Amino acid sequence: MEKKIGVYICTGCGIGDALEIDALAGVATDEYEAAVCRQNAFLCSREGVAEIKHDLENEGINTIVIAACSPRVMTDVFDFGVDKVCERVNLREQVVWSHPPNDEDTQMMAQDQLRMGITKAKEMQPAEPFMAEDLSRKILVVGGGLAGITAASEANKAGYEVVLVEKSDQLGGYLKEVHKLPPSRPPYEELQDFDLGAVTGQVTDQPAVKVYTNAQIAKISGAPCMFDVQIQQNGGVADERVGAIVLATGAIPYDAAKLEHLGFGKSADVITAAQLESMFKSGDVKRPSNGQPITGAAFILCAGSRDPKHLPYCSAACCVESLKQAKYFKQANPETPVYIFYKDLRAHGTYELLYKQLQKDGVIFVRGDVTGVEEDGSGGLVVSADDVLTGSPVMSESVDVVVLATGMVPTTALGKKFKVQEPKEGEEELAVPEDTIVVSNNLNLDYRQGPELPALKYGFPDSHFICFPYESRRTGIYPAGSVRAPMDYWRAVDDATGAALKAIQCVQMVSEGKAVHPRAGDLTYPEFFMQRCTQCKRCTEECPFGAINEDEKANPLPNPTRCRRCGVCMGACPERIISFKNYSVGMIGNAIKSIDVPDEYEEKPRILVLACENDAYPALDMSGIRRMSYNPWVRIVPVRCLGSMNLVWIADALSKGIDGILLLGCKHGDDYQCHFIKGSELANIRMSKIQETLNRLVLESERVRLEQISIADYSKLPEILDSFAAKLDEVGPNPYKGY
Amino acid sequence: MEPKYVSLEMRDYITGMGAETLNWCMQCGLCTNLCPWRLVPGEISEKFNIRHMQRLGQMGMEGFEDEQVLFACSTCSMCQTNCPRGVKIVDNVRGMRSSIVGAGMAPANLRPILGSAHAQGNPWSGPREKRTDWQQGLDVPQFDGDKEYFLFVCCHSCYDQRSTKVAKSITRLLQRAGVSFGVIGAEESCCGESMRKLGDEELFQKLAQSNIKLFNDKGVKKIITTSPHCLWTFQNEYPELGGEWEVIHYTQLLEQLLEDGKLSFPESLGKRVAFHDPCYLGRHSGIYEAPRKLLAAVPGAETLELTRCREMSLCCAGGGGRIWAEVPMGERFGELRISDAVGKGAEILTTSCPYCLNMLTDACNSMDKQEVLEINELSEILAASLA
Repeated sequence: MEKKIGVYICTGCGIGDALEIDALAGVATDEYEAAVCRQNAFLCSREGVAEIKHDLENEGINTIVIAACSPRVMTDVFDFGVDKVCERVNLREQVVWSHPPNDEDTQMMAQDQLRMGITKAKEMQPAEPFMAEDLSRKILVVGGGLAGITAASEANKAGYEVVLVEKSDQLGGYLKEVHKLPPSRPPYEELQDFDLGAVTGQVTDQPAVKVYTNAQIAKISGAPCMFDVQIQQNGGVADERVGAIVLATGAIPYDAAKLEHLGFGKSADVITAAQLESMFKSGDVKRPSNGQPITGAAFILCAGSRDPKHLPYCSAACCVESLKQAKYFKQANPETPVYIFYKDLRAHGTYELLYKQLQKDGVIFVRGDVTGVEEDGSGGLVVSADDVLTGSPVMSESVDVVVLATGMVPTTALGKKFKVQEPKEGEEELAVPEDTIVVSNNLNLDYRQGPELPALKYGFPDSHFICFPYESRRTGIYPAGSVRAPMDYWRAVDDATGAALKAIQCVQMVSEGKAVHPRAGDLTYPEFFMQRCTQCKRCTEECPFGAINEDEKANPLPNPTRCRRCGVCMGACPERIISFKNYSVGMIGNAIKSIDVPDEYEEKPRILVLACENDAYPALDMSGIRRMSYNPWVRIVPVRCLGSMNLVWIADALSKGIDGILLLGCKHGDDYQCHFIKGSELANIRMSKIQETLNRLVLESERVRLEQISIADYSKLPEILDSFAAKLDEVGPNPYKGY
Repeated sequence: MEPKYVSLEMRDYITGMGAETLNWCMQCGLCTNLCPWRLVPGEISEKFNIRHMQRLGQMGMEGFEDEQVLFACSTCSMCQTNCPRGVKIVDNVRGMRSSIVGAGMAPANLRPILGSAHAQGNPWSGPREKRTDWQQGLDVPQFDGDKEYFLFVCCHSCYDQRSTKVAKSITRLLQRAGVSFGVIGAEESCCGESMRKLGDEELFQKLAQSNIKLFNDKGVKKIITTSPHCLWTFQNEYPELGGEWEVIHYTQLLEQLLEDGKLSFPESLGKRVAFHDPCYLGRHSGIYEAPRKLLAAVPGAETLELTRCREMSLCCAGGGGRIWAEVPMGERFGELRISDAVGKGAEILTTSCPYCLNMLTDACNSMDKQEVLEINELSEILAASLA
């Protein structure tokens, strides 16, 4: 495409009062010979936009540079269609609102920002969305319990075809074992009957829902809208092509055999909550040891939960399930003594009323750690505990059964850990921490990176527990229900509804060639210039979403619909062969090189700031909005993710005489906030390799710094930017200036 | 540490003795934080924790029977009116005390009081026939079926020298307003409110039955009480035993008479007055306005509010049988009231309950503040203001 650039400078919002606009326009017209350069006091007005559109039609402008407010605002106003290139230069939030007006340094900052914008725009190409053949919008739901049924039913109600795969011969999952449900309706004090048939009927009577029972997923290959699924059923294999997947395989109770300290295995009368539920379900409620009626019961909550030796987490539903089971006893006979030993009673929301009702029913609640479950010598069991509320050890009276409320283990945590490949002898261990993937036989993904969803530390296949709970680290696959996180019935229903919506969003976006969350709607995708590939595998290893498979010769095989467009592969590639239409190593490198670096005698240092678009860049905008000021030496370049940073940019910047480089990324580690999971962590790992570059150039290591910023940290930014500037002042100017 | 044994039988025994809502408690501890005992130092304050005491009761565990713990609560209801679970904490205290006192294990210092009430119908060791001594020099009408109201004078105001002035003032006020009323006299027995709070259920039943029979035989329809304690038990505890009358505190009646123009207070007081809300008039019975309106009608009475007033009023420490407790100086709730009143510049601290009058007077004297602060009962101010 022949580039014809139009530069439009807005002088509103204080920009015109703070800058010498003619000099700024000179950058566009003289340095870059832009075909058109116009000023407008109100560029986002109808007239301002009409002026631009007039140029597009009459002047042949096809590449637009808007020098005005932050690219985060007015996105709808400055939308000139997919066939045009549009680059935004942030003069408002990051130049005039955060720096003194009519100042030489502020002016230089604005001019550099414009230079970088025009340089990028010159190289950017209009996006060509990825469109594949034979795209499916069907939704596969794996697991036919409450969450799976709900997801399938909700997707069906929204007009999507659904394939539901259930391992056992009947739908219903855990509900099949359940006697009654805890209350979900006023007055929230009585247990609820439910109709399993009505629950499963939501999917069995629907023509657009294909249910496979006694079935398992043998293999899933492909990518969103192109998943090819092999379903094993009755010795045969059925093939389905689907667009997105909801994983709703649920959880199983923690293995009580490991709870010998609570008497399990020592006495037949120490049973699990699941065993008790089956007793009530069948109506055969008896002491396991002698078949006699149960005349007293003690529940031990958090049995093997919130315990570093067992499950370190809270399973969220056991408190209420135990209240429910205590109610079974009290309903059968109000005189039955019932004890509940708990750590914290987590009966949230209206469950509080059930808890209160059980207190009124005379259940004895003991808060504290259970110290022993012993036989009392006359055939009964006594429970001792350290009662926090009286500050003394206590011992229960004799009871007939002790019920252990065991926690939930997600079905994704069952199996052996998947290992991509053992490092060969003499080969150094991969620096990038591997994903935890367990071969749990749920999805059997034909992905190079492993057959299941990567998990967080407790084995739940979550992606980002703070910001986007429905996401997994595999695009188009959304876990829901107790496989995603421990939860109760009603939350599982909500969760499954949310996951169905995510799956629908996915098939819609992908079928239009758009990215899904978090760069929802992005039409670009990474393209590989394969002639120069050295088969180093870094892109396949480092992609946080497992988007890239490889062939036998280790050539990367990208799956654009699995891609989230973070650019981590671009940052990883040593050959720089991966690029987007509007974002590439060369493009950003040239933008950096376009920064005007004064010689050292002018005492005007230059600092390159690579700012993550998700948190750091908006935080910089926010500090501008609040008129916080920071030094005028910084030149801010937004990056899709810090993980997309290619080390060559650092070398480019340093060899040009830029004094320091500040990387602003998201928090990494266990409670990471990176929108692309591992981007900021990878940037951190790559930082260690920057040392080589610095050594080669004989430069100080203090010249490059990485800071972790969350969006709420905007008030700390001036201090971060200024303390780095002060450090660089101490180190002295970059000796490469002027080369 | 040896484990303490949970006993459901004991727990059920306590709930059966009246602690019906004991199990509702979720042990949040708000009660303990709101308890006036947190405001004073000393051994009882350190030992008595209402949350903990209820916890022991819930588990039927030993430990709550310690006299300093079990009998510390003044039943002020500060905790109860704020309990997020609606636990009837005062009933729970009563039930727990009953489980001990009912078994014949009343503390030694309470035995003479309970004994006196048992034998003579009052806890003040006064002979029954001297119940009417306060009437000497007054022409107090005898109640008969023709009288509209029966005036029930609290035992305290029958026997305590200082307190008899309250009975006299109220009589004068009622007479001045032309109220049709009368007293029964020596046959009356203590209302039993405090006896029941102390856990002597049997004694309470006896006193109540005796009064109910007497009042009904005499044709009582409406009762004026001088004490908020009598008011509360007549209104809340007697009906289920067969005593159903229209019961009113004297301040409520006087307020009505004032409004109807049947009473006026021409004499000026010329003093700054603070009103102490009695727990059994305020939090227990919800009466806050009547005494304030009466006080406002007295010319020259410059009224001021204590720091803790109305629903937040601080207990005098006389309820729940605590009027008979010996508490070392420096640990009495009343002292906080005196300091507050003096600090606010009050010259009179008035109230409308004989127990409060008693406790506040003691506190004032022990602090040696009687020169700067006068303690009296509202009826005394009102009677003095009559022409």
